[in-house]
Formats: sequence, structure tokens, C-alpha cells
Amino acid sequence: MLAYIIRRVAYLVPVLLVLSMVVFTFVEMLPGNIIDTLVGSEGVNDPEVRKVLEKEYGLDQPVYIRYAKWLIRAVQGDFGYSLVTRRPVAVELMSGIPATVYLAVVGISLSMLIAVPLGTIAAVRRNTAIDYTAQVTSLIGISIPEFWFAILCVLFFSLYLGWLPSSGFANPFVDPWASLKFLILPAAAIGFRQAAYTTRLTRSSMLDEMNKEYVDTARSVGLSERKVIFKYTLRNAMIPTITISGLQLANLLGGTVVLESIFAWPGIGRAIFEAILQRDYPLVQAGVLVLGVIVVIMNLLVDLTYRLLNPRVKFG
Amino acid sequence: MTEIQADKLAELQAVRAPALGGRLIRWRTALGNAWHELRKSRTASIGAVMLVLLFGACIATPWITTYDPIKQNYRERLQPPSEKHLLGTDRMGRDIYTRLLYGGRRLVAIALLAVTFGLSVGIPYGVLSGYFGGKVDTVAMRFIDGLLAFPGLLFYLLVVTLAREWKIEGIANDAVLVFALGFAFMPEVARLSRGTVLAEKQKEYVEASRAVGDGSLSIALRQILPNIISPLIVNATVRLGYVILIVAALSFLGLGTPPPTPDWGSDLAAARDYMETAPLIAAFPGLAICYTVLAFNLFGDGLRDILDPRLAER
Repeated sequence: MLAYIIRRVAYLVPVLLVLSMVVFTFVEMLPGNIIDTLVGSEGVNDPEVRKVLEKEYGLDQPVYIRYAKWLIRAVQGDFGYSLVTRRPVAVELMSGIPATVYLAVVGISLSMLIAVPLGTIAAVRRNTAIDYTAQVTSLIGISIPEFWFAILCVLFFSLYLGWLPSSGFANPFVDPWASLKFLILPAAAIGFRQAAYTTRLTRSSMLDEMNKEYVDTARSVGLSERKVIFKYTLRNAMIPTITISGLQLANLLGGTVVLESIFAWPGIGRAIFEAILQRDYPLVQAGVLVLGVIVVIMNLLVDLTYRLLNPRVKFG
Repeated sequence: MTEIQADKLAELQAVRAPALGGRLIRWRTALGNAWHELRKSRTASIGAVMLVLLFGACIATPWITTYDPIKQNYRERLQPPSEKHLLGTDRMGRDIYTRLLYGGRRLVAIALLAVTFGLSVGIPYGVLSGYFGGKVDTVAMRFIDGLLAFPGLLFYLLVVTLAREWKIEGIANDAVLVFALGFAFMPEVARLSRGTVLAEKQKEYVEASRAVGDGSLSIALRQILPNIISPLIVNATVRLGYVILIVAALSFLGLGTPPPTPDWGSDLAAARDYMETAPLIAAFPGLAICYTVLAFNLFGDGLRDILDPRLAER
């Protein structure tokens, strides 16, 4: 196990290198450079000043040296300063992470609360009306664009019924009740969509398990159907479900850009989106890098957990 | 060489390279079989019918619409559905039905091109990587892992931003989008093809080809490639739906093709301002996206059942 962990962690290095190169290349490929932005915003247009600035920002050096320097600073958490707020990029990003994690975790938990029972029932009552309904609903669920679903929710619950605020955020530690009200719609929009995937997965892995021999054995020794399903089958069938939910969570941390901007949720996705609109490229660059790193690490953790839960998988 | 060996060789070569006539017959039977198989899965048939309607509408767009999708007509703005305007008009008085069809045409074309691009780069990448193995494979696959590390929309956000900064517009902007979407699909294709290659490489028929003196490249392309097709078809079909969701999300955020080009995502975003007074305007583009993605998903799901009988038995 330990050797396997070490090897997997070593695999991270090239992956992170590719990630950082793509992100670095992005800023390199922008027309003009940081000096143009600074010169534009501060009205300096003296070639002498420009030269000094270029030297200060290291733009007179070849690209690989700049990449190496940028990478070394990035590893230490120094991503430079936001062009808009002039605060350190790291500070700007960190302030968005809790809100994103909060939303993603609640969303995924909600999706599992819906999907696991639904998928299990669909598998146990295979080819009945319940099963067909679950299958059709989840297929429609994965086909609905999340932003449209979110808008429909806002239309119905905020504008029509007036039950919930249409967008905004409140700190759950300061005002839990208000925070919950703001949370419901975005979390539901995430939860229902992810539940559509998880339901399908739970159903098919339950069906897989139910066809295995140990189930027949358990039945033949006279265990009740309920015990067979809840004590044995469901437990094994949950392994892939939990794995996928972990991967979904990782992806949500970086993938809630659309929902965060619809619901004015102050997370990292919206921070990146707004940085793009305001041409605050150091923030975009660092944001994508940080989210990428989070996803890679989460994937590794999920993979290791999967192997822990499922000893049959060889540590190949 | 003994007679038996020569016979064996001829046999092997016959299997390897069927004559052109034989190939044609095989294709025709394959098509006939495909139709027969398709009818076995209800999901696939429904998906196929929905797709035929979709593609039909995309191709026939100029003949089944009467209005201009872009020209504004302020006298007829925000009208409810009527005989004159089947689905009503939007905030600029443009016929929604016309805009939906033109938008769909563009969206489906982008999706098809992007997925084709992803397949045409990803398949050779995966096949060669898997076939040669060793160090080449390791390096190639780590690169793929790196590309897979971009969650959700982030990679597209970078590309779209670059396109905006370089002032790439119109058809060139669509081309950039196709490139980015295809490039992001490539790692998945490469991984899938590599996996299949690794499994197929061990099998006897590859051994046989090598025995009769085929080169590595020829084996990889002519013997192994056909085995990758069926999992990839399923994957590509489902991906088409996913690509449409992404393009719609990008233009919903205002980072796709700018107005007035008809686009489901940006039309939906524009309709948000009129949600209280004219909610139907926001309903139609959303329904259109749903229909299209659902069609691809149904078809892909059904195909999976047909092509992977192990799953279909359930």
C-alpha cells in the first residue's frame, strides 16, 4: 500500500507540471503584456519607464526562466497581485474557497440523499414502474443544462412563490437561518443534477452485485431479502457510488462557475469568472491553477479511499 | 515452405485483407444488422428518431423558416406565440422559432466537428501510445493526465478568453471553440483507445499478423483499430450532448459567440431580464437544449446496451 501511495504521489509531479505549463502559456499567449495593462491604467507612456518596468517584472528574460521563476513563486503561494484590487491574488482566492466548498459539499450530500435510495429501489424493483420512472427522470436530469434548471427554480420558488431569495449569500456562522435560505436553491440545482448521474450508477452497481453468487448463498441460507440487500449488496454497491461522488465533488469545486454567477455566490468559480470579465489575468491564472491542483489531489484521495474500501483491487 | 504452411498463410492473408467486393457486402450487411439491432433497444430507437428529427430540422432550416434570425423588428417585440410567430418573438422582435433553428444548426455543427476532431487526434494518440508501450506510453499518458486535471469549464474559459483578447470573431471564433472542445475530448478518447489496445495486443489474431510479417503500424491501424470503434461510438455520442451543454453554458455566461448570432445559451441569458413578464422566452431555448442533449444521451445509452450485450442482459 505504502509503495503504491508513493508511486501515485510521484505521478502527480508530471501532471501538475502539464497543468502549470498550460496555465502559464495562457498568460503568455495573451496579446501585449502586463506592462501594457499597467501603462494603460496609469497613463505612463515613456519608453524609459517601460524598460524599467519590464526589467522589474522580469520580462527581459527568456520564457523558460520566467516560467521557472513563476513556478517557484507559485509553489510558495505567491501568485502576484490582482490587477483590479491590488491585493495579493492568494488572498483573493482563499476568500472564495470556503463558500465554494460549502456549496459543493451540501450539493453532493443532497445528491447522495436522493440518489442512493432511488437507485437502490430502482434496482430491487427492476423493470417496474418505479424503475422506469427513476431511469427516465435521471436521463432527463443529465440532459437538462444546469443553468436553465437553476433559472427555472428561481422563476418558480423566488419570483412566483416568493419563498426563497433569488440570489445572494450569508455566512452560516453569523446567520444560519438566512444562510440556509440562500443555500437551498443553488444546492438543489447542484444536488438534483448530480443525483441524476449517481442514481444511474447506484442502480447499475446494485444490479451487478445482486447477480453475484454470494447473494444466492445468503438467500439460500434463509436470510431475509431485506437483510441480503441492506447488509450485503448495498454495502458493496456503495463503493463505486462513493467513488464517483468524490470525483463529482472534486469537479464541482472547479465547475460551479455558472451556478455561482447565477446565484451571486461568492465562491472561487465566480471570482475567476469576474476576473475574466475584468481582465484580471493574474487572478485567472492562479485560480485555474489552484482549482486544478485541488482536483488532482482530490482524485488521488478518492482513488486511495477506493482501494482501501475495496481490497479486491490490486495495488498494481 | 510446405503446402500446409502456404495454405495457412493464404488463409491468414485472406482474413487480413478481404477483397473490395467482400468489403462492400460486409458493409451492407453491417448496416442492415445495425438497423435490426437498433430496433431491439427501445431507448436507442427513441434516441434515433429524435436525432433524425433534429438533423432534419438542422439541414432544412432555410426552407422551414420564413423570418430573418438577426433582423430586428421593434414593432413586434415580446409577442406571445401566434399563427404568425409560432413561438412568439424576443425582446428585439425576432421570431424565436427561426432563431432556435438557426442556433441549433450552428450548435450541432460545432458539436459534430469538435467530437470528430477529438476522435481524429485521440485515437491515433491512444493507439500508438498503447501499442508501443514502455517509456513512450508513460510520457504520453502523463501528458493526458495533466490535461484531464482541468475541472469543468476552466479549460474552455482560458481558451475563450484568449480568443476574446485576440479579437477573434465570427466563424474563426467558432473554429477556436471547436478546437478547444475537441482538444478537451481528446484525452478521454486516447485513454479509452489505449486501454482497448492493451487488451487486444495480447490476443491471437495480432500474433498471427505479426507472424505473417506485418509491421507494427499496420497492425495497430488495421487490426486493432476496428476493435476500438464500438466503445468509442458510444462515448462520442454521449460526448456530443455534453459538448452542446458546454457551448450553451459558455454563451450563457456571455463568453461564447456574441449577439446577434442566434445561440441557445446567449438567447437564454438575454431572456432572463424578461423572466417575470415573458417567461416563455426563457423556456424555449432551454427546452431545445434539453431535447438535443436528451436525444444524444438516449441514443448513446441504447447503443451501449446493444454493443455491450453483457450489460444489456439486465
